[in-house]
Amino acid sequence: MSGHDHPKAIGGKLFSPLMNVCLGLFALSVAVMAYRFFAGVGPVSAMSDGYAWGIWEPVNVVVFTGIGAGAYSTGLLCYLLNQGKYHPLVRPAVLLGAIAYSLAGASILIALGRYWNVYWLFLPGVWNLGSVLLEVAACVMTYVMVLWIEVLPAVLEGAADSKHPFWAKIGKKWGPVLAKAMPYFIAAAMILPTMHQSSLGGLMLIAGPKLNPLWHTALLPTLALISCLAMGYGAVVALTNILHMTWNAKADQRLFADLSKVNGGLLFLFVVVRLVDIAAHGKLKYLGVFDFHLFFFLLETALFLVPAFMFFSKKVQQNRGKLLGAALLSILAGALWRIDAYLTAYNGGDGFEYMPSLGEIAVTVGMAAVGVAVFLVVARFFPVVVVDDARDHSHVGAGQVQAAAGR
Amino acid sequence: MRISRRSLLKGAVAAGAATAVVGRAEAREKREVEAEAVGMLYDSTLCIGCRACVTKCKEANGLPYDRSADGLYDQPDDLNGNTKNVIKVLASEGGQYAFMKQQCMHCVDPSCVSVCMMGALHKEGQGTRHHDGEVRGSGIVLYDKNTCVGCRYCQIACPYLIPKFEWTKAFPLIVKCELCRHRADPKKAGPLAVANPACCEVCPREAVVYGKRAELLAEAKRRLAANPQKYNGHVYGEVEGGGTQVLYLAAKGVEFKQLGLPELPEESQAYFSEHVSHMPYLNGITPIALYAAAAFVVRRNRKKEEAAEHHGEGK
Repeated sequence: MSGHDHPKAIGGKLFSPLMNVCLGLFALSVAVMAYRFFAGVGPVSAMSDGYAWGIWEPVNVVVFTGIGAGAYSTGLLCYLLNQGKYHPLVRPAVLLGAIAYSLAGASILIALGRYWNVYWLFLPGVWNLGSVLLEVAACVMTYVMVLWIEVLPAVLEGAADSKHPFWAKIGKKWGPVLAKAMPYFIAAAMILPTMHQSSLGGLMLIAGPKLNPLWHTALLPTLALISCLAMGYGAVVALTNILHMTWNAKADQRLFADLSKVNGGLLFLFVVVRLVDIAAHGKLKYLGVFDFHLFFFLLETALFLVPAFMFFSKKVQQNRGKLLGAALLSILAGALWRIDAYLTAYNGGDGFEYMPSLGEIAVTVGMAAVGVAVFLVVARFFPVVVVDDARDHSHVGAGQVQAAAGR
Repeated sequence: MRISRRSLLKGAVAAGAATAVVGRAEAREKREVEAEAVGMLYDSTLCIGCRACVTKCKEANGLPYDRSADGLYDQPDDLNGNTKNVIKVLASEGGQYAFMKQQCMHCVDPSCVSVCMMGALHKEGQGTRHHDGEVRGSGIVLYDKNTCVGCRYCQIACPYLIPKFEWTKAFPLIVKCELCRHRADPKKAGPLAVANPACCEVCPREAVVYGKRAELLAEAKRRLAANPQKYNGHVYGEVEGGGTQVLYLAAKGVEFKQLGLPELPEESQAYFSEHVSHMPYLNGITPIALYAAAAFVVRRNRKKEEAAEHHGEGK
């Protein structure tokens, strides 16, 4: 990493208006969660025996981790394919990933009916090795740790630059040690998401007849893996663009364009794999009748194809706003496919209907909000974001950089 | 160089050990009915819908009643957190009625058991741990509340919509029929020593009977052969979804689908799902190999980069 694209602690006022809004939303969700622990899952949610996961599993876990997969997809390019030019994107992506995955894990604890029994998950002796969910749970738990370890270099670097001698000593001592060990953590950070992101698709294999045939396929794991990469690239481009608008983060349009071409390829691949699978398994007949499910199928396919075409257009590649729009669409595409496979295409049985309750929405929104808040805090105190024209190296809490109040 | 190679190896072994454990389950075979499997046979043509079994089930399992609006009468219309067994009445077009008894099917290869993370739902004698007094081969799907985290994946997985959840409790349970395993009588011989379903004991018409699955299947086929004009000619549960230990007979002109039993392929969903999910892992070899390869490549790339920059900065 060369001198001028070095990350820098943003500094500035901690309790910005955005921060206050985020904390407010989170407080609301905490109230709902607290009530849930007294009254049970039923009273705060619209979940039922037919729709046992509501939106908490499909959104809080499956979509959040999809967005958090930016750490995985960027890491693949940067470390495995040795595309060093993507380095400036890594730290924000890894922080986003660590936060998104942690929130997914926290959300699960709230959704679990018998959360006090989770300690069994740490005792491999009782594991049911056939369970796909177990694979997801064990893999995600490990990956959360790996992600925060990946965040540590930024924290230790910040500590090393600290004025406080104690922190400076810790940072200077452990930073280089961690740097030596990093390749082994990075390798784990490449393998673990490959496993659990595909398993997230694999979770719905068992639903069999309950899942609409347009979604139920042996390729669910493959599609989940492709979609997480696409969502990840989209999330990284979107995040860095937003950081550019608020904090003057380094936003190299050519870099985004290159990344987006990769993303475009993935989005096309997703649609091709899906259509070929549908045709090969004689499911074309389900495309003949226009109903609720076909509507979502078409919406999904459009959401995949529109950004895919946009990413390959020269005009879009050169236009910051349009490229950001396409990146957001690519996140939305993966998110909708995931929500469909878990919720809209899922038939909970006669007599069961589901529409998320205000309580469920409050928890989901609150979780997302606290994620934004944590990102703000870490990026203000530690060198995560690469800032344009940062001639000097990072100084914790220093620098009269724009406050985030603009957003 | 030497140290880093060794640590690379160590890392690979650590990651590999974890995945190899997961990988062990991959040699997944299709599950066959065990010779000692017990179950029930429900003959819809004999049921008169008296619902004595519903009441007796609640009594035997200590379940609360589902009060009617006036608070007088227990009338669950579906399985729920208070009800493990229910009788449904289905009106057909010709003004005829068909009765249906719904409870756990005790599948030969249950989806709920396949997905349950810590084996809280397990086939008796086949779980990851052995529970006191379990009988090998009975095939009863039992619930262990001590390892259940309440993830409700069993509800997503079950094609018969059987496991129910206590939605309004702070400390909820998964509720489903366990074939009155707790009413087993070790002093008796045969199936009664294994379990003793209250619903079968109380049924005035023997519309539902309990016994060894093999014998029940033979009895069902005998009834079909003796009275072909009375039945629709098929035993539900013999092969559906890999087979179930609860078997169903229906009257002529009544489809099992109308009774709420799904049309399932002969291959169990559990086999399909585990096969597809585990195949790429090649018994844990793939993750270990990929990890080692990734660690190697990442390290090499890092070295190159540092050499190009002349000064190694911590990431």
